[in-house]
Amino acid sequence: MTDMHHDNGIWVSTEDLNREESFVQSAEKEFSVETMTETDGQWAASRRDFLKLMGFGLGAATLAASCEIPVKRAIPFVTKPDEIVPGVANYFASSFVNGSDYCAILVKTREGRPIKIEGNTLSSVTSGGTSARAQAAVLSLYDTRRIKNAGTVEKGEVKKLSWQDLDNKIKGQLQLGGSIRIISNTNTSPTAKMALAEFTAKYPNTRVITYDPVSNAALLAANQACFGVRGIPTYKFGAADVVLSFGADFLGTWVSPIEHARDYASKRKIKSATNATMSRHYQVESHVSLTGSNADTRIQIKPSEMGAAVCALYNEVAAQTGGASISGPALNDKAKAALKKAASDLVAARGKSLVVCGRNNVMEQVIVNKINDLLGNINSTIDYGTLNNLSQGDERDMARLIGEMNANQVSIVIVWGANPAYELPNSEQFKAAFAKVNTRISFSGVLDETTALCSHAAPANHQLESWGDAEPKTGHYSLIQPTIAPLFDTRQAEHSLLEWAESTNLNRQDDQPYYQYLKSHWADSMKAKQSKYATGAAFWDMSLHDGVFEVPPAPRTVSFASGVSLNPAGVTQPGSSALEISFYETVNIGNGQYAHNPWLQEMPDPVTRTVWGNYLCVPIEWDGNKKMNGWMNLNDGENVEVSINGKKLTCTVVRTFGQAPGSVSIALGGGRTSGGCGVGYGVNVNPWLPIDGGMIQYFAKEAKVETTGTVDKHFACVQHHHTMGLAAKDEKTGNTINADEQVLAYQGSLTDRSVIFQANLKELPKLAEKLAEFHHEADHLNQQTLYPDQTNYFGTGVKWGMYVDLNACIGCGACQVACVSENNVPVVGKKEVARHHEMTWLRIDRYFYGDLENPKVVYQPMMCQHCDNAPCENVCPVNATNHSMEGINQMAYNRCIGTRYCANNCPYKVRRFNWLDYTTADVWPANEERMFRVEENDIPFYADNLVRMVLNPDVTVRTRGVIEKCSFCIQRIQEGKLTAKQESRAVLDNDVRSACQTACPTGAIVFGNLNNPDSAVSKAAEGVGDLAYKVLEEINTRPGVKYSAKIYNS
Amino acid sequence: MSQPVSPVRHVLIEGNKSYHNISEDLCVPTEKAPSREWIVAFTIASAFLGLYIFAVCWTVWKGIGEWGANRTINWAWDITNFVWWIGIGHAGTLISAILLLFRQRWRTGVNRAAEAMTIFAVICAGQFPIIHMGRVWLAFFIFPFPNTRGPLWVNFNSPLLWDVFAISTYFSVSLLFWYTGLVPDLATVRDRASGFRKKMYEIFSFGWTGSAKHWQRWESLSLILAGISTPLVLSVHTIVSFDFATSVIPGWHTTIFPPYFVAGAIFSGFAMVQTLMVITRKVLKLEEYITINHIDSMNKVIVLTGTIVGVAYLTELFIAWYSGYIYEQFAFYNRVFGVYWWSYFGMMFCNVVSPQLFWSRKIRRSIWWTFFLSIVVNVGMWFERFVIIATTLARDYLPSSWSYYSPTWVEISLFTGTIGLFFTLFLIFTRVAPVVAIAEVKAILKVAGDQFMGPNAKKSHGHGHETEKQEKH
Repeated sequence: MTDMHHDNGIWVSTEDLNREESFVQSAEKEFSVETMTETDGQWAASRRDFLKLMGFGLGAATLAASCEIPVKRAIPFVTKPDEIVPGVANYFASSFVNGSDYCAILVKTREGRPIKIEGNTLSSVTSGGTSARAQAAVLSLYDTRRIKNAGTVEKGEVKKLSWQDLDNKIKGQLQLGGSIRIISNTNTSPTAKMALAEFTAKYPNTRVITYDPVSNAALLAANQACFGVRGIPTYKFGAADVVLSFGADFLGTWVSPIEHARDYASKRKIKSATNATMSRHYQVESHVSLTGSNADTRIQIKPSEMGAAVCALYNEVAAQTGGASISGPALNDKAKAALKKAASDLVAARGKSLVVCGRNNVMEQVIVNKINDLLGNINSTIDYGTLNNLSQGDERDMARLIGEMNANQVSIVIVWGANPAYELPNSEQFKAAFAKVNTRISFSGVLDETTALCSHAAPANHQLESWGDAEPKTGHYSLIQPTIAPLFDTRQAEHSLLEWAESTNLNRQDDQPYYQYLKSHWADSMKAKQSKYATGAAFWDMSLHDGVFEVPPAPRTVSFASGVSLNPAGVTQPGSSALEISFYETVNIGNGQYAHNPWLQEMPDPVTRTVWGNYLCVPIEWDGNKKMNGWMNLNDGENVEVSINGKKLTCTVVRTFGQAPGSVSIALGGGRTSGGCGVGYGVNVNPWLPIDGGMIQYFAKEAKVETTGTVDKHFACVQHHHTMGLAAKDEKTGNTINADEQVLAYQGSLTDRSVIFQANLKELPKLAEKLAEFHHEADHLNQQTLYPDQTNYFGTGVKWGMYVDLNACIGCGACQVACVSENNVPVVGKKEVARHHEMTWLRIDRYFYGDLENPKVVYQPMMCQHCDNAPCENVCPVNATNHSMEGINQMAYNRCIGTRYCANNCPYKVRRFNWLDYTTADVWPANEERMFRVEENDIPFYADNLVRMVLNPDVTVRTRGVIEKCSFCIQRIQEGKLTAKQESRAVLDNDVRSACQTACPTGAIVFGNLNNPDSAVSKAAEGVGDLAYKVLEEINTRPGVKYSAKIYNS
Repeated sequence: MSQPVSPVRHVLIEGNKSYHNISEDLCVPTEKAPSREWIVAFTIASAFLGLYIFAVCWTVWKGIGEWGANRTINWAWDITNFVWWIGIGHAGTLISAILLLFRQRWRTGVNRAAEAMTIFAVICAGQFPIIHMGRVWLAFFIFPFPNTRGPLWVNFNSPLLWDVFAISTYFSVSLLFWYTGLVPDLATVRDRASGFRKKMYEIFSFGWTGSAKHWQRWESLSLILAGISTPLVLSVHTIVSFDFATSVIPGWHTTIFPPYFVAGAIFSGFAMVQTLMVITRKVLKLEEYITINHIDSMNKVIVLTGTIVGVAYLTELFIAWYSGYIYEQFAFYNRVFGVYWWSYFGMMFCNVVSPQLFWSRKIRRSIWWTFFLSIVVNVGMWFERFVIIATTLARDYLPSSWSYYSPTWVEISLFTGTIGLFFTLFLIFTRVAPVVAIAEVKAILKVAGDQFMGPNAKKSHGHGHETEKQEKH
C-alpha cells in the first residue's frame, strides 16, 4: 500500500491514489467551468450544454411537428346576423328550375349553408312534392367541377379574366353588329325575358333559339294545328278514370311529372277494402318506363308500331263514337285486341278519360288529339286554360341555326344553360358549324361539352345562389332566391346580359344588381296582377316569403280545328327489321343534364335497378319449359356491340322483363365527356337518334347487336331480376304454370312470401279475406313464445310508425335521394356498388309479378322497419343498437364495433355497413384506391371541403367499420318534440315529418304517432283495414312500418 | 400401476419399451438439432404466418371492404374459418377429458399432441371474431368491465357475447389442462438438460421433484380439470351454434344445431388429429407410441361422428319439408340446388360419403387412406360452415337483396395464414416439449402385461427394474 497521504485513507480513483498532477489540479478547482470548445472537430460538451442542446432540439422538433397540423380557424361574427342562429335551420322558399324541370321548393340552410331541398306546399303545381332531380340540386351547388371565375376558354380550360375585362371584350364584339344567337333550353322566367328584351333592343340582330334536351316539339306543333295553341295543356290525371299513354312517361319525365304523379296517385289510392275504386291505366310502349311499370295493362309493341297503335285506337274509338275511320299501318294482333278493350273503356269513361302520347311525331299527336276530342276530353281532362310552359323548344330551330352558322351568318353565339354539343343528335354537325362562329360565350356553371368549345366563359351562379323567377304554368309564378352568397366568382346570366346590353335599369352600384331588377319588376308589373297587397313592397315580401304567386288564369275552351285532316301516312310506318331500339329518358339523369350529380348517378334506375351509366335493356325469353334466358342468351353485365346506321357503340346488357320482343332499349344521358363526375359512365346514344321531318325520334327501326365476349367487370346493379311469381305457358302441356317454380330451382315459394300482396281490383274482397286470415295466423304464431310477456311497452307516450301505400308509390326515387341528402348517406361509386356495398338507408325494391313476357311491377320502399321485437337488437354483443321508448330502433355509432351480426340477422336487409372509409370521417386513413372520386386523380369525394358543405350537421357522419341504417329521421323527431315542448303541447303530425315523406310527390309515405288515433298514419292504416300488412308479419319481428297491398285494375 | 393383466388386450405401446427407452425416445426430439424436414416445414409455415400478419394489417388498415363480403352476406370466410377452427379444437379436450373419464387408456399416446392442437386451433379460431370486427381497436368493448361510460354493459342476450365467454373459458381450461400434463414431462426434460436449457425447464416445470405428494396433487388436479373440461366439449360448440340458431334467418334458425355442431366438431377435430399424428409419428419416429391401433380407434370415432353429421343433414332437409314453412323449405332447397350447390355437394361427399370407407378395417388401418381421408373430412367440414353461413345469407327473406359472394385475396390469405399460424405453433411445440405424454405413457406401459407374461417377459424383465430405478431419482 502506498503512503497514506489522505487523512481518512479514502481515495476515489487510481489518479487520486497516485495523486497524479491532473487530478490534483482539478480537485482544487471545485467549481471549474469548462467552456464548450471545439477541439479536433469534436464537441466536447458539458452536461449543461447537453441539456441545452437537448432542450433546444426537443423544442424545435415539437414546434416543427406541430407546424404540420393544419390550422382551422373559427372566426366569430363581429355582428351576428339576426337570422342565423347556430343549430337552428332556416328555410327559404325558392324554385328548382332547369329547362323542362320545375319544382317549388324550400331550401333548408344551416349556418348559412343550403343542405336540403324540401317541397313547397303552397304551390298548386307541385303541392309540396319533389323529384329526385330537385332533391339532388343541393349537391350540384357544391360540385368541385364548377367554373370558379370568368375567362377565356382555351384548350378546354378557363383562363381567368376579370369580369370587367370580359365585359369589355364581349361588348366590343357585340357592338360590331354581327348577328347574335342565344341558345337556351326552355326558359319560363318573366324577368329573364325582360332582360332578354333589353338585350335584344340594344342588339336587334339577336334571336333566341330554344330547344329542349328531350323534345316535345311535335306535341306543340300538333296542338298548334289542332287547337291553335302552341302550348302544352294541363293534363288532369286526377279527373281521369281511364288513362291511356302512348309511350309518354308522364309519371317520370314527361311534361310535368311531379304534378301528374300526385294527380294520378289520387285516383289510385285505395282508401277502403270495400267499395274501392281506382282509375285504369293502359300504357303502350316497348321498353318498361317508370309509368309503364305502374300501368294496369301494358300493351307491348315494337317502337315503330306506335303509329299503327295510335291509328288502331283511333279507329276503335271512332267506330264507337261515330268518327270517320282511317287506314293505319298494320299492328300486331295482341296489341290490337288489347287496344280494342282499351277503346271500350275509354269510350265508357267519355269526358273522364285521357289519352296522352310521348312521341315526337306530329301526325301521331294530331290523331291522339282527335281521339281525345272524340272522347270529349278536351276542355275536361285536358285544360288549355292553364298551359304548361316547361317545354317550348323546337329542334328544327337548331337545325336552322346550324345552317346559318355554316353559312358564316352568325358572329356571336351565347349558350345559356343548354348543352347542344352533347344533347343534339347532330352534335357533330353542330360542333363543326359552331367552330365557325367568331365569339362563343357560355353561361354554363361547369365546363360541359359545349362550354369547352366556347371562346368565353361567363359562368352563371348556381340556382341556389341566384335571384330569379319562373312561370311554369299560366298564372303560376315562382320565385328563386339565393340561399348562400356565390361560392365562386360567378355572375348571374341575366346580370351578364343586362351588363352587355348596357341597361340603365340595372343598378350596378348595388350589392346584388339583379335582385333590384327582379324586385322592381315584381313590385311593379307583377303586383298589378293581384289586388290583395296594395304596395309593391308588401307584395314582394309576401311573394318572396311564399315562393309562389298564383293568379287563377281565365278559363279557356278550345275546339278541334275543322280543317285538320288525319293522314295515316304521316304516322310512323312499322319497320321490317328483326331488331328495333328505343331510347328513353330516366327519372334521374335526363338527357345527361344530371349526369354530373353523384346522388342521381347512384340512385338506381327504378326498373333496371342499375346505377352509374346507361345499360342496354334486352328482353327475357321463356324457353317454354324450364329456363328464362336473356335475348341471344345474353347475361347481365355482358358487353355487346350495337350498331345503328353504321355507328357502333359498346353497351353493357341488363336483362329486363317486359321489354317487347324484337326490341331493345337504352337510356339517354350516358357517356358524357366533359364537366364532372358523369364522365366515363355509360354511352352517349344521342348520335344514334334519327331525325324525321326535323323532329328527333327516340327510336330506331334498325339495330344490330353483336356479342363481344367481354363483360363489364363493375356492372353495378343493386337488385337482380328476382321476381315474385311470374306465370308462363308450359309448351309441353299448354298449361299456364308458375315459371318461377321452374326456374332457378323452387323459386316458386317467392309467390307466397309475405313481402308483397297484390290482387286485381275485382278480387279485392278476396284479397282482404286472405289477408285477414294471414294476419290471424301470424298473430297466432307470434303468440307461441317461450316468453309470454304481453306487456304493451309502447302504450303511453309516442309510438312512431310509418305507413307506405304501395298503390300510391310510383317508384320515382325522390324519397331515396331525399334520404341520402338528409342523412349524409355517402356516395360509394360504381365499383363499390358493383360489389354490393351501396349505403342507401332507403331503397325501392322492385318486384315483377304476373305474365312472364309482360309482367306487372310493384315498388316497395324498404327502410328499417323499426321492429319492436328486433332481431338486430338482441344479437349485438355491445348493445350498440337498441330500442327507444318510442318504438325506434336506434344505432349508437360510437358503441358499434362492427361485428355485422345485426345486418345478417335483419330479415329486411336494411342495415348498411361502412366497409371502407366512405366519408373520410375516420381517424384511420381512407382506403384511397377504392374511394369514389370525381376524376381519377382527385382526392376522395368526401375529402373535399366543398363537398362536405352539403353534410347535415344534425346527423353524425359515420366512420369506417360501423353499421348504419334508417333512423326514422331521429333528428327531425327530436326537433319536433322540442317544438312541441316549447309550446307545451303534445307532438302533432306536422311537427315531425320524415325526409322521405316530405319528398314523396304522391303522399305514399305517411309517418307519425301510432298512439294518436287521429294521426295521419293511424288513419291511413286503419282506413284500408286488412289490406295493410307488415312485411314478414309471421316471424314476430313486430315492425313499425305497415304497407298496403298492391291493387291493379285490369 | 397394477393393471389387470389380460391376454386379450393389445399392447398399447409397441416395441418392448422400457421406461428408459420411453424417456429417451420422447425427450430426444427436444434435444437434438432440428431435422431438415422440420426446418423445411417450419419455413413454409412461418411464411404463411407472415402472409397472415400481412393480411391482418391490410384488413385493419384498409377496412373490411377489402373482403368480398357485402350488404347481404356480411359474414363469409371469416366466420366460416372461425367455426372451422373451433371445431378442430374439439378433439383435444375430448381425448383428454372424456376419454380419460371413460378410461380409454389408448388416449395417452395421442392426448398431448391433440391437446396442443386444440390450443393452437382455438388460437387460430379466436383470431377471426376479432379481425372481422369493423373497428377492431374497440374489441375490448365486448368484455363486461366497469367503465366510465355510464353504466354501459355488454348485451348479455347476444350469442356473440356468449361466444366470448365460451371460447375464453375453453381456451383457458384447455391451456391449464395441457400445461398440467406437461409439468412432469418438462421436469424429465429438465433432468436430462444442462445449462440454460436446464434453467428454462426448471422454471417451466415449477420445481417438480416427483415426490409422492406432487404426483397425488397432480392427479387430483388432472381429474378436476377433466371434470371441468367435459361439459366444455359439449358447451363450446353448442354456444357457437347459437350464433346461428338464435337468429331469425331461415337455415340458421334450427334447434338441431347444437348436437349437430358438436358432432361435426369432434368429427373434424379427430380428422385434424389424424392428419397431424400421421405426420408426427413418422417424422419423430414415434410409430411405437402412436400405433396403428390409435389410428384405427380414431377412425372409428370419425366414422361414428361423420354418420351423426350425415343424419343431421338429412334431418334438416326432412324438417324443412315437414315444417311446411316456405322460407325454411326454400332455404334448404337453395342449399342443395341453388347457386352454391357445389359447396353443398362438396360437404355431403366429404363429410358423409367419404368417412364410410372407414367401415373397412383395411382402410381404417391404412396410413395413406387415413391421411387422405382426414384431409377430405376437414375440407368437407369447411364446406359445411361455408354452406351454413354464406349460402344461407345469400338467399334469405327478401329476394330484392339477394346477392353472391366470392372471396378476395385478403380473405384467402387470412385463411391460409391461420393454417400457417397453426403449424408454426405446432412445430415449435414439437421442439420444446415431448409430443407424447411421457408420464402417462409410462403408466400404461404394462397394461397388456406382456413384459411380465408374454413372449417378451424374460428378456425385458431385468431392464424393467433397471429403468424403474432410474425413474425414481
